[in-house]
Amino acid sequence: MFNFFSPTNIFLILSKIQKFINSIFFPILIVSLVFALILSPSDRVQGDAMRIMYVHVPSAWLGLACFSAITILSISAFIFKIKNFFYINKSLAPIGLLFTFLAIVTGSLWGEPTWGTWWVWDARLTSMMVLMFFYISYILCFKFIKKEQLMLKVSSLIAILGAINLPIIKYSVDWWTTLHQPASIKLGVSNSIHSTMMLPLLSMLLVLVLYGALIFLMKYKTEIIRIKKKSIKRL
Amino acid sequence: MITNFIFMNGHGIFVWSAFGLVLISGFILYFKTRKTLKKYEKEFLLELETLPEAKKKHVLENSKIANKILVENSKTN
Repeated sequence: MFNFFSPTNIFLILSKIQKFINSIFFPILIVSLVFALILSPSDRVQGDAMRIMYVHVPSAWLGLACFSAITILSISAFIFKIKNFFYINKSLAPIGLLFTFLAIVTGSLWGEPTWGTWWVWDARLTSMMVLMFFYISYILCFKFIKKEQLMLKVSSLIAILGAINLPIIKYSVDWWTTLHQPASIKLGVSNSIHSTMMLPLLSMLLVLVLYGALIFLMKYKTEIIRIKKKSIKRL
Repeated sequence: MITNFIFMNGHGIFVWSAFGLVLISGFILYFKTRKTLKKYEKEFLLELETLPEAKKKHVLENSKIANKILVENSKTN
């Protein structure tokens, strides 16, 4: 079964997926932007500032999703001894960092017109900032630790420690009194967001997922080529 | 109507900055990642070129990845 995860198999599959995403990305991006900026109604209380939600919320979701994936793959790599998962993680981390950074900055841009401040040290914002530092340390660990075994151990440790922060981010708005609003969208529960806003939100989520996938595919292909280049003379 | 769309009742600066930042940082990461991938592909092909002819043939016969990179680069060149 683990032969399926061989770099060669994955490389060939990724090349096909990359071509497919390239062909559909721009039409979906344009349609989503039209929905988010023109067709969706403005909020009764927040006015047009609410439109920032269409980039802020998917960025935050994907920032959390990438780190969750990194943690799961780090643990799996240790249990099943699949080194390939570390290369996947190495490719995922910059995408997660970008989305977390965008969630923080767009949140700040949304905060000024709605809360009257760019930043407060409340639980949600602070825990997102902590997540960004975990991403940075994870990436730096791959960059600066040259001994491979040590690098794999340290990166796994960072991933597992960072995972403790994930439920704190998710439930911070329920556990503490925060300026940040509680979640409007919950799985399996009726949502407090109207369908005219939900559709652009899901559409922008799709755009960012496709974008993240595209970056991941290119980064992971780069990793595979780097490994193959080292071993080309041994073939 | 266009003025309303741009200024968004005073919120335009925040909305356009947020969307602009996402698009610009997205494009920067995309082109940086693409450039790195192309650089590694070229380096890989250069490494392949330095091999003796028999060895090169052996690599191309046994490595699907080497074949794929060679095909993709010959299409773009």
